[in-house]
Amino acid sequence: MKRQSSLVSESVLIEKLVQRDQKAFHWLYDQYSPALYGVVLRIVREEEHAQDLVQDIFVKIWKNLDAYDPSKGRLFTWMLNVARNTAIDALRAQKSQPSSANAIRTDEENVHVVDRQHNTQQPNPEHIGIQDVVSQLRPDRRQLIDLVYFGGYTHEEAADELNLPLGTVKTRIRAALQELKQLFKS
Amino acid sequence: MNVEEYIASGILDSYAVGAVSDQELREVNCLASIYPEIRHELDELMLSVENYALLHSIEPPTGLRDRIASQLTFEEADDNNTIVRPLPLDREAPVAATQPYTYKTTWMVAAAAALLVLFFSYFLITQLQSNQKAMASLREANESMQNELKQTRTSQQQTEQTLAMLRQPGTRTLELRGNDKSPKGDILVFWNPGTKQVAVEVKSLPALPADKQYQLWSLVNGKPIDAGVFDGNLDGTALQKLNRAIAEADAFAVTVEKRGGSPTPSMETLLAMSPTA
Repeated sequence: MKRQSSLVSESVLIEKLVQRDQKAFHWLYDQYSPALYGVVLRIVREEEHAQDLVQDIFVKIWKNLDAYDPSKGRLFTWMLNVARNTAIDALRAQKSQPSSANAIRTDEENVHVVDRQHNTQQPNPEHIGIQDVVSQLRPDRRQLIDLVYFGGYTHEEAADELNLPLGTVKTRIRAALQELKQLFKS
Repeated sequence: MNVEEYIASGILDSYAVGAVSDQELREVNCLASIYPEIRHELDELMLSVENYALLHSIEPPTGLRDRIASQLTFEEADDNNTIVRPLPLDREAPVAATQPYTYKTTWMVAAAAALLVLFFSYFLITQLQSNQKAMASLREANESMQNELKQTRTSQQQTEQTLAMLRQPGTRTLELRGNDKSPKGDILVFWNPGTKQVAVEVKSLPALPADKQYQLWSLVNGKPIDAGVFDGNLDGTALQKLNRAIAEADAFAVTVEKRGGSPTPSMETLLAMSPTA
């Protein structure tokens, strides 16, 4: 994600974060919380739970800043990883409880999420809306990416879920990402 | 390894959407750090997935930021601190890393040098000692050889003297055998009536106290005539020339007398006697 702020460069931000500067936290939160909250909400599908998780995630990030190695990748990549792993762990913990029968989200529910996007600030500099991408991305590919990325499914689980051979799942994921790559490049 | 094939296999795409096992994750990280092409492809895929995730961004409810902030601990942002605080850290790290190292090295080198000197000193001392021993034994050997040489020379001289006496025409050799007082007493008397020279060669006689000497007598017509004194405890078979001129002798006798000799023999000490004819 290329959010190039003319005010704060990433290395300065990290330096300030390591010094546990409160202003740096505010900046970090303002910059990244919509993305993290959106991903977490997309995974756990429950607002209050998602908010609690976002709190946990920011505390985790704050406590483990020393574990972040700038040479291994961008700060956002690392934060998104922490957020996704935390949320998927929570989702798995939920799934293991027999009381809640969580199925994979249908397109109908997706529309609900998409509708909410209209009132939110678009973070992407190119202003590509989710609708634009979704409308261009082949449905079978998007479904698979959502299942794996937001559902935390393994290849095997996704193959079971969609009644597809394992090899097809792998090639479809690749095709989907190549398509995404082209969409964001254009 | 074929990089294109690896990229086409789809594992990088699976990595980007978080659908790889821990082992595959490590494998991809490792290969991406080796092959720039893999690194580049992976970065692009990750960026695409991140952008896709960003499309789902939703503004969290107000108040969440403060709720989170209350859970965190902040340092007072002091501009001086931000500049000054890292400096001692930066300075300490290399100092802490290098100083004990050089300190240690110095000591190690010093210790090694000291040990070396110690060993070398020990080596030198042992060398010196062995040299001294060798010198001492050489000196001893030298001394004993010189002694032997002296003895050889002395005995040679004596032999020569004896030979000289024996070569003289008319020299007679008389053997005086010890009586019961000196059963092992055994003396050769060389006497040349022509030159009147007398010499004795003690083969074996008891040693005498310091105030006593043996005295040789020549008997002429029953009268004892002083033929000179000699020592019985000389090493080897030394020829002792006696400083008395003996022209006539019927017999020779040996007595023990006071040092320097007596005018008349004390007959009770007569040890050996031998007629000349």
